[in-house]
Amino acid sequence: MNEGLLIAIFVLSLFAFLGSGVWVGASLLACAWIGMELFTSRPTGDSMAMILWSAQSSWTLTALPMFIWMGEILFRSRLSEVLFQGLTPWLARLPGGLLHVNVAGCAIFAAISGSSAATVATVGKMSIPELRARQYPERMVVGTLAGAGTLGLLIPPSISLIIYGVSVNESIAKLFIAGLLPGACLALMFMAYVALWGLLSKHKSADRVVYTMRERLHGLWLLLPVVLLILGVIGSIYSGVATATEAAVLGVVGSLALSALHGSLSWEAFRDSLLGAVRTSAMIAFILAGSTFLSLAMGFTGIPRALAEGIGGLNLSPLELIAMLTVFYIILGMFLDGISSIVLTMAVIEPLVRQAGFDMVWFGIYLMIVVEMAQITPPIGFNLFVLQGMTGHDMGFISKASVPMFLIMVLAIVGLVWWPDVALILPRNM
Amino acid sequence: MTRAFAALAWGLDRFYVACGAVAALLLVVLTGLILASIVSRLIGVYLGGVNAYAGYAMAAGAFFGMPYAFRSGAHIRVTLLLTNLTGWTRWAFELWARAIIAAAAGYMAVYFGRLTYYSYVYGDISQGADATPLWIPQSVMAVGAVCFAIATADSAVRCLVEGRHSLTAPEADGGRDT
Amino acid sequence: ETWDMPMAYAASNYHSENNAAFAAAVTERTGGALEIKTHPGGALVPGGEIFGAVRRGIAPIGERLMSALGNEDPIFEIDAVPFLATSFEEARALYDASKAATEQVLAEKGLKLLYAVPWPPQGLYSTRPIESIADMKGLKFRAYNPATSQLAELMGAIPTSIETAELSQAFATGVAESMISSGSTGYDRKIWEFVDYWYDVQAWLPKNMVIVNQAAWDGLDEATQAIVLEEATKAEDAGWAEAQRLADWYKEQLAANGMTVAPPSPTLKAEFRDLGATMAAEWKDRAGDLGAEVLEAYKAE
Ligand code: NA
Ligand code: NA
Repeated sequence: MNEGLLIAIFVLSLFAFLGSGVWVGASLLACAWIGMELFTSRPTGDSMAMILWSAQSSWTLTALPMFIWMGEILFRSRLSEVLFQGLTPWLARLPGGLLHVNVAGCAIFAAISGSSAATVATVGKMSIPELRARQYPERMVVGTLAGAGTLGLLIPPSISLIIYGVSVNESIAKLFIAGLLPGACLALMFMAYVALWGLLSKHKSADRVVYTMRERLHGLWLLLPVVLLILGVIGSIYSGVATATEAAVLGVVGSLALSALHGSLSWEAFRDSLLGAVRTSAMIAFILAGSTFLSLAMGFTGIPRALAEGIGGLNLSPLELIAMLTVFYIILGMFLDGISSIVLTMAVIEPLVRQAGFDMVWFGIYLMIVVEMAQITPPIGFNLFVLQGMTGHDMGFISKASVPMFLIMVLAIVGLVWWPDVALILPRNM
Repeated sequence: MTRAFAALAWGLDRFYVACGAVAALLLVVLTGLILASIVSRLIGVYLGGVNAYAGYAMAAGAFFGMPYAFRSGAHIRVTLLLTNLTGWTRWAFELWARAIIAAAAGYMAVYFGRLTYYSYVYGDISQGADATPLWIPQSVMAVGAVCFAIATADSAVRCLVEGRHSLTAPEADGGRDT
Repeated sequence: ETWDMPMAYAASNYHSENNAAFAAAVTERTGGALEIKTHPGGALVPGGEIFGAVRRGIAPIGERLMSALGNEDPIFEIDAVPFLATSFEEARALYDASKAATEQVLAEKGLKLLYAVPWPPQGLYSTRPIESIADMKGLKFRAYNPATSQLAELMGAIPTSIETAELSQAFATGVAESMISSGSTGYDRKIWEFVDYWYDVQAWLPKNMVIVNQAAWDGLDEATQAIVLEEATKAEDAGWAEAQRLADWYKEQLAANGMTVAPPSPTLKAEFRDLGATMAAEWKDRAGDLGAEVLEAYKAE
C-alpha cells in the first residue's frame, strides 16, 4: 500500500470529521475505523475493544481521575481563592503578575504528577477563575497553562520517561535526574516570556498596590495549607509510602481534609466536586479511547515506522538527524499522543540515534520536550482538549494562544542541542 | 404521542444523571482501592488484586460517566464551522455530528459486548494476582458503553425529529439547554 | 500475507532479537509470501493483552511470558514453580516433559505453540545482605502473582504489589526492597542504582513462548507451514543457546556495576529448597492430573 495515499486518507478524514463539528473522541474513532477497514485485514471492532479495555483499565492511568478530582475539591472549597490571596502580595509587582502562578503552579504540580492533562486540569481549575477575576487576558491565561502544563512529562516523576527508559535500556534514575534542570530551565523560560509580556503590554493588574511586609507574611500564612499538601504528596513518593501513581489519592484525601478544616466541605461541595471530576474524566476518557484506537490503527498500517525508516535511509549527519527528528515528531505529535509516537517509532529510531553517537539520556530529555510540544499542537493535543473543556474557548483560540509556548519549546530544543550539559551535568555527577 | 415522548425524554434525562451517579460512586470506589493499596503496604498486609480492581473501577467509571458528560455538554468538539452556519445547513451538520457520535458509541457498545461475551466463553482470567474472570469487569464497562450509545442515539433522534428549530448553541453538546 | 507479531520486551532484549531473526528468516525463505513483522516493546499490543489478542485473531502470532498465564491454566506456570528446575539442563528437561501438555492446553484455546525460550535463572535481589530466610523478615518483597506473594509470605517478607512500569521507581523510593527475578531484569533496569545484593539462588527459569492462532496457521499452505516450523526449531535452539551465554554475562554485568553477586549461603539454599517443596506440592494440587503426569515424566528423566 502506498504510504502517501494512506497518510492522505488519515489526515483528510480526520480533518473532515473534526472540522464538521463531530465530537473529538468520535472523530478519532471514526478515522481509526476507516484506516483499519481499508488498510488492514485485522478484525477492526475486536481489536478496538481489546485495546480500549487494556488502556482504560490500566493502573497507571488511575492517577488522572484522582488529580482531576483533587483540583475540583480545591476549587470548590475556595482553597484556591485563599492560595491566590496569599500569592498576590508577593507577585503583584512582578511584570506579568499572577500569571506566573500558572507556570510555577504547573512546575510544582509536575513534581507530583507524571501526566500533563492532570497538571493542566488541576492547576487550571484553581487558577483560571482567579486570573479571570483579576482581568488577565484569556490568551495569556490559557496559553501559559497549556504550555506549562506539559512540564509534568519532564519533571520527575514521569511515566513517559519510564516508558522511554525501559524501551532503550536507560537508567530511569538518571533520566529523572536529567529531567530536573531542563524542566526548571523551561519553566524559567516560560516565566521570562510572561515577564516580557508584562513589561511590553503594561497590563494594569487589578491590584497595583504596594503591600506591606505584614501583608506579605499574612500571605505566606494563607499559602501554608496548599504548600503543605503538595509537600506531603511529594514526600509520600520519595519516602516510599506511596508509588507515584498512588500518591494522587493522597492529594484527594489531603484536599478533602484541608477543606474540612477550612470549614468549606459541605455535602453540596463534595457532590459537585465529584460530579465535576466525573464529567472531566469522562470527557478525557472518550478522547483517550479515540486516540488509543487511532494509535493502534497507525501501528497496524505501519505509517510511523515507515516514516522513521525513511529518515534512517537519508544518511544524515547527527545535527541534521536531530533537526529532521524534531520535524518528524512535531508532525507525528499533531496526530498521535506523545507516548504513542515514542512507542511506535523507538524500535527504528533508537539504532539511528545510537549510531549518530548521541547520549541516550540526553536524547530522552530531548524527546520529552518534543513530546510535550505534541500536547499543545492541533488537531490532537490533550492539553488543548482539557482547556477547551475547562474554558469553553474553541480549539483555534487555544492553539493560537499556545503558539508562543510552542516556540519557546523549540528554543529549548535548540538550547538543549547547543548545551547538552543542561541535561547531562546532574546525571554525570550523581 | 407527544406526551408519551415528553415522558420518555424526562425519563431518559433522569437516566443520564443516574449514570453520572454510578460513575461518581465508581470514582469513590477507585479512591478507596488506591488508599487500600497504600495502607495495606504500610501495615504489611498483601492485597494483591487491588491494583487490578482499581483499573476495573476506572474503566467502568469512565464509560458510565460518558452519557452524563455528554448530556451536560462536557464532551468537546470543534465548533468553528457550526457557529458560522444557520438554518438547514446548520441542522444538517448537527445531524451528521450526532449520527457519527451515535455510531461510534454504538460501535463501542457492540464490540465491548463481544469482548465480554468471548471473555466469558473463553473463560479469560486476569493475569494479575486478582485472577478475576474478565467478563465481570468488562460487562460493567460494556453496560456503561451501552448507556453512552443510548444517550448519543437519543440526541441524534431528537435532532432529527425536532428539526432545526430545536438547535441551541453548538457548545451545548446535548443539543438542548441544560 | 503479513503477520503482525506483538512482543512485550524492548527491541534490544535477546528474546526480541531472536524473534526478529526468526521473522526475518521466515519472510526471506517464503519469498515474502508470509511476511512476519515484529512489534517489540508492547508497541502494537501491550504485554498483558498479547495472549488474548492472538487467541482472538487480532494478531495472528505473538510472544508471551508463559508463567504470566498461570491463572489461565496452572500448566503454564510449571516453569515458575520455585526450585523445581534450577539449571538450563533441568529447565530443558522440564520443557520436554511439559511440552505435550502445554500444546494440549493451547490447542483447547485454539492456539499453536511454535517455540519457547528461557530467561536466565531467577536470583534474589535485596537491598540488604541475606544469609538465611530469617533475614527476609519484614523486607518488602515485590509480588506480581499469587505464587510470588505466597513465596513472600512463606519467607516472612511483606509482599507488595508493584506494576512493571513502576519497578525502578519502587526500588528507588523503598516501596520495594527485594524481589526474585532474572539477572536480565536487573541489567535492563540498571537496578544496581538502588539494590546492592544479588544472590544466584537459581529459583526457576521462566520461558517466553511464541504462539500462533490456529485458524491463521491453517490458512497457510503446507510448504509455508514447513518453513515456519523449521525456522521455529532453529529459533528455539538459538534462543536457548543465547540465554545460556547471557546468563553468565548478566551476572558479570551486575558485579561490574558494583552489586555483590554471590551464591546463596548453604543455609539459605537449604531453606529455599524446603520452600520450593511446599510450593511444588501446592502447585501439583492445583494442576490436577495433567500436572501430576508432567511432574512424574520430569522426575523420571
Ligand atoms: Na512529573
Ligand atoms: Na498534538
